[in-house]
Amino acid sequence: MRMTQRLLSLGTLMVGFGWASFSPVGAQTPDPTFPVNGTYHKALVATVLEHATLHVDATTTIEDGTLVLHRGRIVAAGPSATVSHPGPAVRLDMTGLHLYPSFVDVHSDFGMPEVQESGWSRTPQDLSDKKGAYGWNEAVRPETSAALVFDPSGDKAKALREAGFGAVLTHVQDGVVRGTGAVVLPLDDPREALLAPNASFHMSFRKGSSSQNYPSSLMGATALLRQTHLDARWYAEASPRGMAGGTNLSLEAFVGGQDLPRVFSAGSWKDVLRADAVLKEFGVSTPIMLGSGDAYQRAEAVAATGVRMAIPVNYPEGYDVSDPHLARLIGLDELKHWELAPSNAARLHAAGVPLAFTAHGLKDPGAFLNGVRKAVEEGLPEQEALRALTSTPAAWLGLEADLGSLRAGRLANVLVTDGPLFDKKTHLVEHWVAGQATPMRDRAPLDLAGSYNVNVNDSVYALEVTGEPGKWKASWALNDTSDRKVSLTLDNRTVVLRIPADDGPIRLTGNVWMESRIWEGSGQTSDGRWSDWSAIRNEVAPDADVSEAEDVAEKSAPESGKTSAGKTDASEAPVPSGTAAPLDLSGVVYPFTAYGLPERLEAETVCIRDATVWTCEDEGVLEGADVLIHDGRLAAVGIDLDLAALLPAGVTATEIDGRGKHVTPGVIDEHTHIAVDRGVNEGTQASSAEVWIGHAVDSEDVNMYRQLAGGVTCAQILHGSANPIGGQSAIIKFRWGAEPQDLLLDDAVPFIKFALGENVKQSNWGDGYRTRFPQTRMGVEQVYYDHFIRAREYGQAQLEHRAAMRDAKRKDIREGRGPVAPRVDLELETLLQILNEERFVTCHSYRQDEINMLMHVADSLGFRLNTFTHILEGYKVADKMAEHGAGGSSFSDWWAYKYEVKDAIPYNGAVLHNQGVVTAFNSDDAEMARRLNQEAAKAYKYGRVPEEEALKFVTLNPAKLLHIDHKTGSLKPGKDADVVVWSDHPLSINAKAEQTFVEGVRCFDVDRDRELRDAMRVERARLTAKMYADGESSGRGGKTRPSERIESHYHCDTLTDENR
Amino acid sequence: MKTAKNLLRTAYAVVALGAGSVTAWAQPTPGAEQSRSVLILGATAHLGTGDVLEDCAVGFRDGKIDYVGRSFQVNRQKYDDIVDASGQHLYPGFIVTNTTLGLQEIGAVRATQDQYEVGTFRPNVRSVIAFNTDSEIPPTVRTNGVLMGQITPRGGVVSGSSGVVHFDGWNWEDAAIVMVDGIHLNWPSTHHRHNKDGKIDIQRRKTYDQQKHEIERFFGEAQAYAAAPRGSLTDVRHEGMRGLFDGSLCLYVHTEDARAITEAVHFKRELGIERMAIVGGYDAYLVADLLRENDVAVMLQSVHSLPRFADDDVDLPFKLPKLLMDEGLTVALQVDKSMTEMNSRNLPFYAGTARAYGLTEEQAIQALTRNPARILGIDDQVGTLERGKTATLFLSEGDALDIRTNSLTYAWIEGREIDLDNRQRQLYRKYQTKYGAEILDLPAPNN
Repeated sequence: MRMTQRLLSLGTLMVGFGWASFSPVGAQTPDPTFPVNGTYHKALVATVLEHATLHVDATTTIEDGTLVLHRGRIVAAGPSATVSHPGPAVRLDMTGLHLYPSFVDVHSDFGMPEVQESGWSRTPQDLSDKKGAYGWNEAVRPETSAALVFDPSGDKAKALREAGFGAVLTHVQDGVVRGTGAVVLPLDDPREALLAPNASFHMSFRKGSSSQNYPSSLMGATALLRQTHLDARWYAEASPRGMAGGTNLSLEAFVGGQDLPRVFSAGSWKDVLRADAVLKEFGVSTPIMLGSGDAYQRAEAVAATGVRMAIPVNYPEGYDVSDPHLARLIGLDELKHWELAPSNAARLHAAGVPLAFTAHGLKDPGAFLNGVRKAVEEGLPEQEALRALTSTPAAWLGLEADLGSLRAGRLANVLVTDGPLFDKKTHLVEHWVAGQATPMRDRAPLDLAGSYNVNVNDSVYALEVTGEPGKWKASWALNDTSDRKVSLTLDNRTVVLRIPADDGPIRLTGNVWMESRIWEGSGQTSDGRWSDWSAIRNEVAPDADVSEAEDVAEKSAPESGKTSAGKTDASEAPVPSGTAAPLDLSGVVYPFTAYGLPERLEAETVCIRDATVWTCEDEGVLEGADVLIHDGRLAAVGIDLDLAALLPAGVTATEIDGRGKHVTPGVIDEHTHIAVDRGVNEGTQASSAEVWIGHAVDSEDVNMYRQLAGGVTCAQILHGSANPIGGQSAIIKFRWGAEPQDLLLDDAVPFIKFALGENVKQSNWGDGYRTRFPQTRMGVEQVYYDHFIRAREYGQAQLEHRAAMRDAKRKDIREGRGPVAPRVDLELETLLQILNEERFVTCHSYRQDEINMLMHVADSLGFRLNTFTHILEGYKVADKMAEHGAGGSSFSDWWAYKYEVKDAIPYNGAVLHNQGVVTAFNSDDAEMARRLNQEAAKAYKYGRVPEEEALKFVTLNPAKLLHIDHKTGSLKPGKDADVVVWSDHPLSINAKAEQTFVEGVRCFDVDRDRELRDAMRVERARLTAKMYADGESSGRGGKTRPSERIESHYHCDTLTDENR
Repeated sequence: MKTAKNLLRTAYAVVALGAGSVTAWAQPTPGAEQSRSVLILGATAHLGTGDVLEDCAVGFRDGKIDYVGRSFQVNRQKYDDIVDASGQHLYPGFIVTNTTLGLQEIGAVRATQDQYEVGTFRPNVRSVIAFNTDSEIPPTVRTNGVLMGQITPRGGVVSGSSGVVHFDGWNWEDAAIVMVDGIHLNWPSTHHRHNKDGKIDIQRRKTYDQQKHEIERFFGEAQAYAAAPRGSLTDVRHEGMRGLFDGSLCLYVHTEDARAITEAVHFKRELGIERMAIVGGYDAYLVADLLRENDVAVMLQSVHSLPRFADDDVDLPFKLPKLLMDEGLTVALQVDKSMTEMNSRNLPFYAGTARAYGLTEEQAIQALTRNPARILGIDDQVGTLERGKTATLFLSEGDALDIRTNSLTYAWIEGREIDLDNRQRQLYRKYQTKYGAEILDLPAPNN
């Protein structure tokens, strides 16, 4: 018996030589290294899917096409007429069905161990707890290999297959450096499933499961990524020469992953831009980025980076808007995002961003296809959608030869549907993954719809069946004319009916024959007697055409309808006579938050006439003067300006009547913590000189607008004060609507935050934080000496290396025997800049002893401290500060919140100023910042600083402290047009900013503000109505209960761990 | 009869003495009992009644105001001392409500904190007895015209009772205007909250319904206890609540949210509580009719605060006093958002902002004087410049609601002239001495 079979097989092989020679790489061929329990399965018989609509790829469709699958691969594909298969094959008729390449997801955690996040620890953890020769930080895990931990057991594989995925790039989604990813098929056997074990190298900004303190912030994570790149570069050179101080498996793995496709799990569009900047710095130019679905908010900026975007389809659900009080909890940006999120793909595509879809973020991958369909509905061309599901991700992974199209040689990953993929009514029928089918529906489901004559118990009854496969409904007319509901279920070919007859229910079971023209079987009446029955269909249900027509109507509307519908609503709102059309906020607004505008603002040519002008220059306060703004600059300040002479020909200025108004320079806040994402302190080490606030700037913070409404145009975003050597700060202009990096002042000199006193001693962090150095003011001094001495030696080592390179033989260098470059240390680089006076220090300080100490430290190391911020005891050492050349940026009147501010006095500003210290008042507070003009008044109230000088506390003096006084801070022709028009004396409690110009751009205008409020109200109303209409049946709108969003308002001492 | 110039000269002599010799600091000595009657002449008087009197005369003796009228009508001979206040502004002492002044000295030093007691329901806890008259902060507050405060405990669901004090006295007993003016209830949130990142951060440990039930049960028990004849056993918590049910105490409900406010008003009606004020009340403008019809006042959150929602009008916190007063509500201002103690001295400027955003000058002043006095139940004693009222008042060189011009020349508490010096002024003088610099502190008299 056995012998016969073997012979038979051999015979077949001989006959089919041509097709059998194909190399059996994929699944479905047994692994010969494994012993077999039983008999070998030879996989000799192919599968032929014939007469289907074959979507070979996004652009090639064959109407009557045939596909031959064998041993997990496609061995032939083409028009049915031309494709033949010589060997034994099972032929499946696919008439009426569509075949598509299976979907590919580049961002999955399929088969990966679950990641447990850990919280902020009550005691410090400085180093990694991981056992083994790994790196110092638990969030850097390049040694993690998805392939090594891959375990596909469980229900997930089937769920992925049923969602249409034929392959996914999976990785352990944990940490800042996450290790290598693997391309796997959603199959249960890991060896069959694992297609490409080392397919990609993964990163993110999120700390994940690490219980270590560092990094606690977004900027810390950024610095850690940069330093790790640098460390790997150094390790690759130093380690082979035995100069790396030991073996570091993490860095080795990092070096090994460098040539793999880079995937960065970014998130919001801001994180996409941030990640791109970091990767570009290290030569990675077109990474694959995971978005969060909001990239449409800045599609152009994302396109400009050249990144490839993996975009999710987990659009937000609607909110319950039934209670108008509770509906206030939902921000306009959240409402707008609900409406616009499905247009993400269309808008990104239109901007030229290469796209792939991912099921990331979906609880149920089954919802994936509908999400993609919504994207198509919102204007993404179907071809592009298909590409983004198949060939694009395949190409990104370098697996075009295996995935993404239905061509010979590819894996037999075939998705069978009963209609065009993006049609809402289309079902997935079956899914072949590596040649193994997962059935989901009958290929040719029985159509039961129609009216039947049922013969049972010698009577004939009329049965009406409606609905669609899987959802049949039946009713029954018995003796009288009233319809009765009949329960009907169909399981394969067996139909079961329960009929409510007059004398009790009749239960019938039978079989469906001849495409449902005849049903036949037996049943029991209510008294238990058996009886045969049959049903014969009279006619085909006639209403098919009608439903199709409805379909068409539904489909044609939305193409542009979704957003234009909104626009119509808004434009139909009553237009007040004599004004321009109201602002329409229904599209994307810049920034994407409250008070965002539909267009980017542009610089104006403006002349403010006849105002009281506070120049903050030698000219003092000018009465009845004009201020001319042109091309972003102050063109002229003076009495009766002749615009024709001052402006280029053809340029006219908008005039603002300044009578009764006061004009001042834009207010500058030397110390703020607004406009930062995910943490203002990387206070997890005594020094965090390597971090830069500029990496975490948030351009969408409504506080910028609120402060523009208080006349503020410029601010220094400082790192917090949790450690003696804090992070690098960012000086921004409040360019409302610009992207984060465009808020930064390009040519500003760099600054860093230092801090002294209670915060850096961790005095108020709880008893767990009594072990980390420093705990005393004595220790703080030593932190500085130690770090600066190291920085100086670091600089020395670099010089020595350069000299050694000069002296080394070319040949030695070429052959890798040249001098090893010292490790680039971002922290010491920064400190070295301070020693070289290329970077300035703003130091958080309260007590005079430590202020004095730090000036001695700086003097002895040969640099100058630029600014002491807070400096509440500055009045005690104002003479020493003046002598050292340090400025002071103080609170006007804060005290009593810490022991070290016990001696703070509101006269501090006046004393400092009078002793010749350049003095400013700052906010450190999102609320107070919008009233800095009032704070300046306190310099007059407490200590009688003349009002002109007091105003400089928040204009020219902070500009001087920030080394930007050549550009801003006073009304001097040639400077940036950062100008505020006030309703009253600028130091008065009655003063309101009416216009605030930033570089000639009217970023705040009291009239436009009023219009914006109206437009926001209209837009909220429109979206609320739409949400309500969408969920009308519920009577509430959407399902999501409104929840109040807590904005993070940071201060110096805000410690968070929110970057997980 | 001592003239104003004499008085001031005396003051300066004291200051000058201090400037040279200050090495240790002590809080200003409480003012001496009023022994000489005083007549203030020529000031612009903001009476707190809504009226303003130009060139007015206000006289007081034995700690009580006995004359309010025009300068040319008063009989000057009846007064021992005349203060020439022409060009100056006269105000009733400002009242800061819902403050922890005197309960907390330094935010970061636990040993100096006395506002948070342990427990959920603790109406028997009295803040007034922990009011530290030797705190260094009130002297810096009264320098700007804030002369009285409602000292309020924090935390829990029922935090305890507040009391009202003058910012001058040898101990809390001397300082107290009323030992217990009301009970403070923190209304739980009716909705969820989440952080910016979208991760849900459940702020409610129990469901709202459960918390509300516990509040109702606690108040219900207290009411039943109060209604019953006194037995042999005493529950001090219920004793603390007694006054709520006979109208002698006010129930202060701390919440910002519209829904919670409406819930609190229902609660008031169900329990038949006579006096209620909402503390915070950011959303009160949305339910103003309900509040007015139920006679509920509002002690409004800091005017100098950020809008609650990004979509709110940028200046909404500034104009809330106007929105509420336009609805006919009784509104007092307070300083609850951050650094309540030290910021209490900025209370006048909150009123200044409220004026810039719609209130009339006298309305703004009432929000610091008559209105809080009414809510606290002490308007028979303070809050206005009227005959028979306590002589707690001050003179400022200019508009006291504007930082530029708020500059006190005199202040009296219960007729006692108080020392406007404070530790901060002393430190200023000390270090001006170090630099040999001019002391530009107290304004020149009558310039």
